[in-house]
Amino acid sequence: MIALDYSGSLSFSNLAQTRLLACKHPIYNLAMSIIEINHLSKSYRVYQKQEGVWASIRGLFRREYREVQAVRDISLQVEPGEFVAFLGPNGAGKTTTLKLLSGVINPDSGDCRVMGHVPWERENEYRRRFALVMGQKNQLWWDLPAAESFRLNQHIYAVPLDEFDRTRDELCEMLDVTHLLGQPVRELSLGERMKMELIAALLHSPEVLFLDEPTIGLDVVAQHKIQQFLKAYQEERKNTIVLTSHYMKDIQALCQRVVIIAQGSIFHDGSLDDIIDRFSGDKIVTLQIGGPDEVFQGLRKLPNVLEVEPPRIKFRIGRDDVARTLSDILSTYAVEDIVVEDPPIEEVIAKVFTDAQGGQVDDESHPDIAGVS
Amino acid sequence: MIQPSYLNVFLTFAKNSMIRDMSFRMNFILQCISSLSWAAMNYGLFLIIYQFSDSIGRQTGWGESEFFIFLGTIWIINSLIQTFFMANATEFSEMIRTGNLDFALLKPIDTQFLISFPRVNWAQLANAFLGLAVIIFYLHQLLNDPSKKMDFSIWSVFAYVFFVFCGTVVMYSVMIILASTSIWMGRNQNLHNFWFYITNFYRYPMEIYERGIGWALWGTFTFVVPILVVSNVPARVLAQPLGGHWGLWDWTLATMSVVAAAGSLWVSRCVFRVALKSYRSASS
Repeated sequence: MIALDYSGSLSFSNLAQTRLLACKHPIYNLAMSIIEINHLSKSYRVYQKQEGVWASIRGLFRREYREVQAVRDISLQVEPGEFVAFLGPNGAGKTTTLKLLSGVINPDSGDCRVMGHVPWERENEYRRRFALVMGQKNQLWWDLPAAESFRLNQHIYAVPLDEFDRTRDELCEMLDVTHLLGQPVRELSLGERMKMELIAALLHSPEVLFLDEPTIGLDVVAQHKIQQFLKAYQEERKNTIVLTSHYMKDIQALCQRVVIIAQGSIFHDGSLDDIIDRFSGDKIVTLQIGGPDEVFQGLRKLPNVLEVEPPRIKFRIGRDDVARTLSDILSTYAVEDIVVEDPPIEEVIAKVFTDAQGGQVDDESHPDIAGVS
Repeated sequence: MIQPSYLNVFLTFAKNSMIRDMSFRMNFILQCISSLSWAAMNYGLFLIIYQFSDSIGRQTGWGESEFFIFLGTIWIINSLIQTFFMANATEFSEMIRTGNLDFALLKPIDTQFLISFPRVNWAQLANAFLGLAVIIFYLHQLLNDPSKKMDFSIWSVFAYVFFVFCGTVVMYSVMIILASTSIWMGRNQNLHNFWFYITNFYRYPMEIYERGIGWALWGTFTFVVPILVVSNVPARVLAQPLGGHWGLWDWTLATMSVVAAAGSLWVSRCVFRVALKSYRSASS
């Protein structure tokens, strides 16, 4: 927060938003949540096979299984109209959570309500009101044009014809794929296919949308297009979206709220800036200094200098030291410009993941977690 | 509450499969030719056998014309199963292994319906038409044979269609039960093998098993896995090997056919539901 003292000339884009969200959180708990997860757990039994033929033959008679706890005791609430990201390393339990929410698999214990329905009871009333898009699986008929798969969904979801035509045309236009409707899906590029998958999932205007890595493997242009689309779509329809992704760009562009899941548990719940505040104790300072190059000799002695390119110097500094160090520098050198930034989000997240995987999640050492449920 | 029209969904499946089949034209034609030539060879084989004998067994009534009506019925049931269910049951096993069953579970429509019908293998329907042609030809022979006491009316046709339907339902249910077990096994490639074994036994009139060790097969395939009922009941309705009069045994078989169809469908639904509870969805 010290950094705010410098807000006049420094770059702190998202701080105001962070505060706003932090204020909102208690109110969230009072309102009716659209997604309520209480102490949800799910484990898998995985067959452990040793390498080689003999091990395989032994496996015919005696098998060893390993219990994998995919989701442990997760509690979470999502409010109508929120755009939430699940972030976590591979195998953290993000996809399993989405599968539980969409009723594809049954939990071992715990309770969950989405729009008042228990997902794994698979009531048709529930299934008509949400959609799941998986970046790594496709629901479209491979050998047929996407238009035929859309038509099938129209019948399955019993969407009235005029409404179907309107929604389809609108979505195709937004994603710029109208000219590809008649082309067999197998002849589409990955990006085009993903757009078609999204359309197929949105034709029945779901109130809740689960997106599991929707931009995986896409190039920057296609990723950007899908981000823009999701943003516009969500702003217009005000529906609730839960997204998992490994691309920080997706999350930065779309989600106000990030839930970090690691080893099946919730590690953090808040805004992206909260993550930086909580997990990164550093700031990155860039100074532009007038005067001859010799001036830099003194500055080079600072700990954690990242880059010296006169007239600029870049260094990393503990957050608590920012004010003191900068005032010292300002009194000694002819500083022309100062930029104080957070470290790159990717770097912070990587650190969070490593921490989360290294040490067990401990409620006491992370008091925020208690606030999640 | 809004309900999907199952008929519309099925018609869309049928249409989509047709579009797909037509886009691989050569494959479609070759499939038709190969299944038709299999039927032709089958037919030729029994023509040869009937050069050595007038009937299967003594006093069973399965003469040449009657038997070819039986054979035509087998072709029709086989062809219906292969057209509507074989590819789907195989696909269902595959969906379990790859995790693609996820999508079926998301849709607001009966899941068993959704996985049972998506692919219609139109090329396999060729044999049903061939079977129909053979049946009409030999039925005509029988009806014009003054030595046969045929009792044939429009009701025989309805009864025939009904019992073919019952038979198809039994075969479908057995298939779904087998395919559902893939959920526990992770992989199940027994489906085709099983189909081959079963069709080996059900393609003859049940009378051929009524001797010696054959009785064991007769008992098993009549009462335990009632596949002999599947083929014999409709064939007997049309071919009437022992004349038009229905005895106690005919009524028993006919009742069994209906009970077997309803019972096996119910069991298949139970197994399917229990299996879905164990579905764990492959990694994404």
